[in-house]
Amino acid sequence: MKYNKSLLRILALAGCMSVMNACSDFLNEELTTQRDTEYLKTPQGIRELAVGIYYNLRYHFAGEWAYTYTNYGTDEFRTGGDGSNQMWNSYDGNFSPMITAVNSNTVMPQALWDNMYIGIGSANLLIENASAGLPEGEERNTILGEGHFLRAFNYQKLVRQYGGVPLKLTPNTTPQREFSRNSVQEVMEQVIADFTEAYNLLPATPSAPGKITKDAAAHFLAKAYLFRASEINDSWNSTTKTADLTKGLEFADEVIANRQLAPNFADLWNYTGIDGPSENLNEIILSAQFTADISTRGRMGNQQHLFFLSQYLNFPGGGLTRDIAGGREYQRLHTNYYAIEVYDRVNDSRFWKSFKTKYAINAPKGIYAHGDLGAMYIINDPDDDRFNTSDDLLTVVDPITGKVVPNLLATYVGGQRYLDLDANANRFPSLNKYLDGSRAGTADVPGNRDGILARLADTYLTAAEICIRQGEYSKAINDYINPVRARGAYKAGEDRAAYTDGGAAYQGPPPNSFYDRNSYYESNEIPETTDATDLTITSFDYADLPEEDQRVIDELGHAGDEYKRALDFLLNERSRELMGEFYRWEDLSRTLTLVERAKAFNKMAEPNITERHNLRPIPQTHLDIIQKNGRALTADEKEAEQNPGY
Amino acid sequence: MKNEFLRFNVNRLIAVMLIVLLHATAGWAQELQVSGKVTSADDNSSLPGVNVLVKGTTNGTVTDSDGNYAISVPQNATLVFTFIGYTPTEVVVGGRTTIDVGMEADIQQLSEVVVVGYGTVKKSDVTGSIVSVGSEELRARPVANALEALQGKAAGVDITSNERPGELGQVRIRGTRSLLATSDPLYVVDGIPLMSGGIENLNTLDIESIDVLKDASATAIYGSRGANGVILVTTKRGKAGQMTMNYSGSLTVENIQDLSPMMDADEYITWRRWSYYYRDPNNYPRGDEPTQDNDFAIFLGANDPFAWANIMKGWEGGNWDGSKVKTTDWLGMVTQTAVTQNHTISASGGNDKVRAFGSFGYLDNEGTMKGQSFKRYSTKLSVDLTPKEWFEMGVSINASYGVQQYGQSTTGGQVSGPNSIYAGARGVFPYAVPYDDNGERIQSPGGDDYVRTIVDEWKLSENQRTTIRALGSFYAQVNILPGLRYRVNFGPDFRQYQNGIFIDEKSVVRVGNPSYASLTNETDFSWTLDNLIYYDKTIGKHKIGGTLLQTSSSRNRNWSNINGTDVPYTKQKWNALGAIPLESLRGYSSNLEEQQLLSYMGRITYGLSDKYLLTLSGRWDGASQLADGNKWSFFPSAALAWRVTEEDWMQNTTWLDQLKVRVGVGTTGNAAIRPYMTKGGIHSMFYPYGGTIAQGYAPSEFQISADAIMANHALSWERTTQYNFGIDFSVLNSRLTGTVDVYTSRTTDLLQEMSISPINSYTTTYANIGETKNNGIDITLNSVNVKTGDFTWETSLNAAWQKNEIVSLANGKSDDIGNLWFIGESLGVVYGFDSDGLWQEGDADEMALFNANDRNFSAGMSRPVDQNGDKIIDARDRVVIGHTQPRWTLGLNNMFRYKNFDLSVFVYGRFDYTVNTGGEFQGGRYTQRDIDYYNENNKNAEYQKPIYDVAGGDPFFNILGYRSGSFLKIRNINLGYRLPESVIEKLKINSLRLYVQARNPGMLYSKVDFLDMDTGLSTWNRGFVFGLDAQF
Repeated sequence: MKYNKSLLRILALAGCMSVMNACSDFLNEELTTQRDTEYLKTPQGIRELAVGIYYNLRYHFAGEWAYTYTNYGTDEFRTGGDGSNQMWNSYDGNFSPMITAVNSNTVMPQALWDNMYIGIGSANLLIENASAGLPEGEERNTILGEGHFLRAFNYQKLVRQYGGVPLKLTPNTTPQREFSRNSVQEVMEQVIADFTEAYNLLPATPSAPGKITKDAAAHFLAKAYLFRASEINDSWNSTTKTADLTKGLEFADEVIANRQLAPNFADLWNYTGIDGPSENLNEIILSAQFTADISTRGRMGNQQHLFFLSQYLNFPGGGLTRDIAGGREYQRLHTNYYAIEVYDRVNDSRFWKSFKTKYAINAPKGIYAHGDLGAMYIINDPDDDRFNTSDDLLTVVDPITGKVVPNLLATYVGGQRYLDLDANANRFPSLNKYLDGSRAGTADVPGNRDGILARLADTYLTAAEICIRQGEYSKAINDYINPVRARGAYKAGEDRAAYTDGGAAYQGPPPNSFYDRNSYYESNEIPETTDATDLTITSFDYADLPEEDQRVIDELGHAGDEYKRALDFLLNERSRELMGEFYRWEDLSRTLTLVERAKAFNKMAEPNITERHNLRPIPQTHLDIIQKNGRALTADEKEAEQNPGY
Repeated sequence: MKNEFLRFNVNRLIAVMLIVLLHATAGWAQELQVSGKVTSADDNSSLPGVNVLVKGTTNGTVTDSDGNYAISVPQNATLVFTFIGYTPTEVVVGGRTTIDVGMEADIQQLSEVVVVGYGTVKKSDVTGSIVSVGSEELRARPVANALEALQGKAAGVDITSNERPGELGQVRIRGTRSLLATSDPLYVVDGIPLMSGGIENLNTLDIESIDVLKDASATAIYGSRGANGVILVTTKRGKAGQMTMNYSGSLTVENIQDLSPMMDADEYITWRRWSYYYRDPNNYPRGDEPTQDNDFAIFLGANDPFAWANIMKGWEGGNWDGSKVKTTDWLGMVTQTAVTQNHTISASGGNDKVRAFGSFGYLDNEGTMKGQSFKRYSTKLSVDLTPKEWFEMGVSINASYGVQQYGQSTTGGQVSGPNSIYAGARGVFPYAVPYDDNGERIQSPGGDDYVRTIVDEWKLSENQRTTIRALGSFYAQVNILPGLRYRVNFGPDFRQYQNGIFIDEKSVVRVGNPSYASLTNETDFSWTLDNLIYYDKTIGKHKIGGTLLQTSSSRNRNWSNINGTDVPYTKQKWNALGAIPLESLRGYSSNLEEQQLLSYMGRITYGLSDKYLLTLSGRWDGASQLADGNKWSFFPSAALAWRVTEEDWMQNTTWLDQLKVRVGVGTTGNAAIRPYMTKGGIHSMFYPYGGTIAQGYAPSEFQISADAIMANHALSWERTTQYNFGIDFSVLNSRLTGTVDVYTSRTTDLLQEMSISPINSYTTTYANIGETKNNGIDITLNSVNVKTGDFTWETSLNAAWQKNEIVSLANGKSDDIGNLWFIGESLGVVYGFDSDGLWQEGDADEMALFNANDRNFSAGMSRPVDQNGDKIIDARDRVVIGHTQPRWTLGLNNMFRYKNFDLSVFVYGRFDYTVNTGGEFQGGRYTQRDIDYYNENNKNAEYQKPIYDVAGGDPFFNILGYRSGSFLKIRNINLGYRLPESVIEKLKINSLRLYVQARNPGMLYSKVDFLDMDTGLSTWNRGFVFGLDAQF
């Protein structure tokens, strides 16, 4: 038995040793595949956090979000063939602090809220860490400037959509649960302070394309001052209004002095390939950067190429299949008649450079060969007597091929708005500004085009609006509106039927539905000409205004009020110049013209929209999460935090 | 050592000495030569290595390999035959020279042992709530995996069916308690807790027994991992005795069944016409008054002339006759009669020094849908060695290689598609045709781009998942002193998983895009090392046992993926991704996760006079993935059992054979969160400044990852404390036996993925907040109803009732609507607007009130209940409709035996729960299940009217989809025949059983007529199994 006892001792010892050994570091957890937040305090980490915050700017082009809260429910667009987000357009019973998803594409009220605050959180961390962790100097200034810029940018987005929101300016490491809303005034003071700080810190010239510059800060400062002086804030802005307009104009003027509009409106949309000339124009003050490199793509890429397109692969006459050049048509946004008729379509090139009207046959069928004109939208007037019934649509012969155009739609048939027919929910001239022929596959969702966040034409029109508010009408017209309109007019010698969009970037083998002509002549029925056109206006007198603007002013009943006429004209001009560029809802709510314009021009929003819709509902998710005095909010407290009417 | 052995049994020794003394007086000098053969009384197999001892002496011998022995003994001697696993047998020689002995297997030792975690106990000594399923029950039904075998066998263990070959159902032991952390039980195979995944890779026929630890007094021994119950799987090992050989084979033939057929061409065409009519009655004719022009438009005649030609058959002669339109059998193209083969051959044997078991199994499971299958090769080897009286060691390895053809994949697809080819086939229009005039398949039959063909898709899309799994279990045991043992267990567990996807460019999910290939590799290696000390001592009436454990385990899991498009040569599939051009690369990633667990456990058992049994245990667990300072926790348990029938005053109660009362309490944990949740990892990203790519970081960024998780530096365990009260009884000479357990548990410090305000710059964090409770009853009854001569009828019933409830949540006693968690309601509820059926024409006035408030109701639409009567249907009108977990689960087996025949009928059911079937969208665009829908000719319908709309239509259509999920189904009927002895002997085999089984013959009762609530789908497989089980 002796050996057994000694064995026991050995085993006991061995057991204890293994226990002791295990105790020392066995349970230490080390994260080796990711860096952690401590890294962001090091100089290199701070530099890389400053890069990271740029990613948040891409949010506005990433998913379905942007159009739902800026383009839907306005005069310009309504729901197209797919109603995944129709509640954002119709303001129906489902448009509430807690939207019931129709499908996985439905945008929730908290999407924008969450993403803007996540960006703000990164900016707060960057400002805190860079202040402590970088030596004074140009690099530190730039990085701090970027942090202040993003924070201001996101807060101004929130305040324009929701009104006052909780201000959070420092990072926290444990969850904070008690938040309450600050006033619009407080948020705007912070926005202006941050943009001003950014303006003071940022360099005039960027160290690389896509970097935030002093001009970008100035542009948004001008817009922030204008916002504070706008109608939606009239209840409290009387003390700051005059000074804001003056300051706003100063900053706008500074940007205008530094930059030039692109010579041709089409230059902005003539996307020929990744990071091509259209993305490096001097007119572009700031854009969210996208490129084809797989490592930069994240989960989303730029998806805006999907949403504005009408359906082209299911035309009854056939001959068309989906391809890269034509894009993947999500048909979310149906172009309203307002968006078509606000243009002088004979003299203003911007309509024909913003909308796609022709498609080439890409699935040859019968007599039709690849490249023949396969589908056409004719943008006509109610008095056009060529098309009395829909049967008349199939009688137009393409002079180039001598063949009947197999698929043809017109804005008016028999004097009726043909594209407003229920059956044509998926048929409309598509806004072409985001088409992306550089994608690898027909169905690829992530796109490669940069997303424009600020361009000089917007600065011009911001300045023009400031002048209108100052009563400086002729200054508004001569210094700011006419230069933008001049660029939109046809130049002498210009081929008015020439057309391009981002689909032309596709250079691969067939199928290719891109067609390099538009339906200018078929629509306008005028003889071919290469004369210059003139869009100059002289005053906001009713009689001096273009016919298309008079129609809008009449519809809204503003003919007798010069300020309203001027503002109407300005808003129309913003449509013509910035159609679909993710400003519209905010412009209309800011000027309290949303309800009247949606009622007049958006047949789906018309029955439901009311004044409460000038603000978005505070997301229910937020109200359900926050606490007061260590407990959840009561129903009354939630209602007090909510915007009125929701 | 033999002396020492005797010293343990002091009492017995004294008795033996007395006997020796008594016998010593008579003829001790006369020797006799005795020989004979020792066999097993069970099956007459010879037993080698049996100890034969002349009682009271050290004179003895051992049987040879044929079980024969020869020994010289005094004439009146008594021979004692002893052998492991058999009851010692004493035979008085009485002058005989040939003594053959049939030894009885020691029931107490073999079948009445229950595995309790870190040891076994006699069934009579069990203090916790444990269900055991033995190998006989496991092999009675041929099944693809052990879980299926367990289904309906154990009260309180609810297992759902998954009929995709190679997939497991879901197991819930006594319902769920946790909101976020896993509700899966812990699997322990041969003493080694599995750290990665379930037990689908084990061959069922390699399993000796499955013991399910249900109550916390039993599971607390696994501490932090015991909260969801523990399933202990013991695989087969060699037994001392004659070598035996076994072959089991089965052939299963199955077909898919569908409870909800789709509309045929005629029905569908009419329905779609109605949908247009209800969208705009001014522009479209009624569904029963069709026009050819309208049909051409709504059935996209221009897009698919071949489908249109089929519809035109209905218009031949000018008037519509839908019966002339041919219905295409899309489903028939994707289904097949599935033939499944399962073969296992095994051999076992050994003596008291060496015991071994080996098996090889082959499973070839064909799917009832084309393109789905599962093949598994499995082997099990175990060797147990006892080289010295004081030392034992053993090796056991379960290894398998499985290849699953998952079926059509939509991963990497360019259109969101159905999750199986069958679902895809249900989606193709019945009036459309598969091929055009040239015999080419039509990509979108019917002309709608979103509805694509399934023809040939099973050849154009492949998803192959291979798994290599090797589970090892090694032990060594030293018997240090009488009653004192030291044991070390080491269990490595290796899993290699590969998931390869290839979608041909011709596949409809890639249309217009180049081919897609993806390769995922995952390696998972974990190990467990136990150091155990056991001590057992009996002092008079006192029986004391002690267990001490120190254990550590570690898991290392790494995985990588690469995917891209444009594979140059289709045969390369995912195997040559280097051949794709760089710009076709779509994704690449790799990752590593490591976690460790360190534990100490102590257990004391105490028995007094075999009447009162007490078990106390405590376990300390430390887990790496929890925050520093919160890594360790203590999980105690106590259980007391009272064997009432052992009391003296019960000895005269004849009707009651056995009665045991048990009370137990225990605390268990759940820390099943991913590693690094306390670490605050940040997202890496690359941002392009023009063409210059820069490294960036952010704490959270939605465009990089949907997880914006704030690190919680105080994360700890979720803890469940459960009380269990149980009764085991046996009455009327064991004609009726049963167990009833009642339990109640509270789970606190719930691990929750708690939404936090994004103002914190994150949207979620993990936290220990909230509380749930869970009550239930488990009942098991076995009865021998009839037992007359050749005929017996036995019934076994197990039933369980359970109800869980949320007590508090992150915000205290306030509901979390976003997660559908409501205070006082069950975990898992259907929440939404309640249904008032359909609006009828007579409700016009009432409808107008709602329509004044942003609604657009009309007759034939679904009618939500306006709970607060404000004539506004909004979020405030939503209510809890029902709970989604069954309150009752039931398994009922009836077994009839007549002579060599046996027949069993197994019935399985779940009751009292709500299922949200989703309603019928009826948007008019896609195919439609054959339903009773509202139209002008059928206003008293079950479902609303169809309204053509791509994503809109009737906004409340889903409220018509709530149903009771209760069902009772015959899972199988099994008829077996055991060949009679006479035939067996001629065949020179030990036994042979043949059986035939009907699988899923039908539903006895179901509240939902269009879903099989067992699979949760409209489809299920029905078939026959033919099997053979032979022992040589």
